[in-house]
Amino acid sequence: MRTEISADKVKGDFLEKVEELSGQSIWACYQCGCCSSGCPVAEEMDLLPNQVIRYVQLGLEEELLSSKTIWLCASCFQCFSRCPRGIDISKIMDALRQMAMEGGVDRFGPVEISPSELAKAPQQVLVTVVRKLSA
Amino acid sequence: MKLPYYPGCTLKDRTSQLEATALAAAEKLGIQLEEMPNWTCCGAVYPVSETKIVNLVAPFRILKEVSEAGSDKLVTICDFCYNVLKRANLAIHEDPVKRQRMNAFLQDDDRRWAASGQQVGEGQEYDGGVTVLHYLQMLREELGFDVMAKAVEKPLSGLKVAPYYGCNLLRPPAEMEFDDPENPRIMEDFLEHIGASVVESPYRIECCGSFLSLSSPEAARRLSHNILESARKSGADAIMLSCPMCFYNLEQKQKEFGQHFPGFRPMPVFFFTQLLALALGLDPQVLGFERHFVDPIPLLKERELV
Repeated sequence: MRTEISADKVKGDFLEKVEELSGQSIWACYQCGCCSSGCPVAEEMDLLPNQVIRYVQLGLEEELLSSKTIWLCASCFQCFSRCPRGIDISKIMDALRQMAMEGGVDRFGPVEISPSELAKAPQQVLVTVVRKLSA
Repeated sequence: MKLPYYPGCTLKDRTSQLEATALAAAEKLGIQLEEMPNWTCCGAVYPVSETKIVNLVAPFRILKEVSEAGSDKLVTICDFCYNVLKRANLAIHEDPVKRQRMNAFLQDDDRRWAASGQQVGEGQEYDGGVTVLHYLQMLREELGFDVMAKAVEKPLSGLKVAPYYGCNLLRPPAEMEFDDPENPRIMEDFLEHIGASVVESPYRIECCGSFLSLSSPEAARRLSHNILESARKSGADAIMLSCPMCFYNLEQKQKEFGQHFPGFRPMPVFFFTQLLALALGLDPQVLGFERHFVDPIPLLKERELV
């Protein structure tokens, strides 16, 4: 996908909405990359955690809401734990998921859990996966 | 010592061996864990979105009930329950808007319960005064590891165990205040006090993949396999953990590892309460190893512990 950066996007209300939903200050990030270096699922991601924040700063809503990354964050809080600026990136990921779900995307709902998982998986996994990835 | 206890869903079903061993060990140590008369699901994940404040209601109700029953402490074992209850409690304590909204919501709730003839609390405001304790903290801070050590009948000599912390006990550190987030010690101290040999492995604070084992199984498998291999390369016989979700990913999922990772050798995984029960000399019936995919009995026999 071609990524277009424009003054309109930067000045749009996307960043404000992400800040409102996540309670995090997006401009606090100075792109050190600590989050991405410690992220256990960075290998599977199409956008690294620090890039996610940069994209929010640039108002790249479409790219973010269609990324794989927002559905791969497992909320392990390693990024938050190590962020020198105190940004809880898992909250930003959840805010982006919430926006994608409000737009009609449902990444993983109860019907997608296989019968064999349903028979063995702990209740806490079943509740968590649905709460995190389904509207 | 008497303490109120919140079990959570998973300990009542899929990992009942965790609860059984925790309760039996507590009894042996002279701690009465009294299960709350009314409890609901804690919500499993702390509601991070600022607009989803309603998701705080479940943990709030649980904590308020503890306070109304006259206690200022609550013990729980599952890492997710601990994380949710502790963070929700802190939010209620520190954020006056959340506190007010939760209390207002629960007053309506109380009225509905009263209308249906149920007993309800006294309708007092709850301000986050309960201290949420993980079972490990209870052992260290309420009982004392040294007192626990004196009750050990069968030190786990020769058993080389790699502690695995995972995420929810330690992080976010400013809210959890459980241990040093990069170099925790509580599990190592626990193991030393029950006579086991501690093996430090570099992946002990890495994520096991959590719920991704259902939605992105290949990613979760990679993470869990890394943790197991890291423990093996560090010289461990087994892994010890506390979270039912980690147990699922690191233990139950080993069944699938052989086909994805050639040469994979299964490794026993213990809940910390199972090792405690073993060291306290409790009836092996309580250990619940029949629920494990990797039977730890051959290893325990080899070390002459059963």
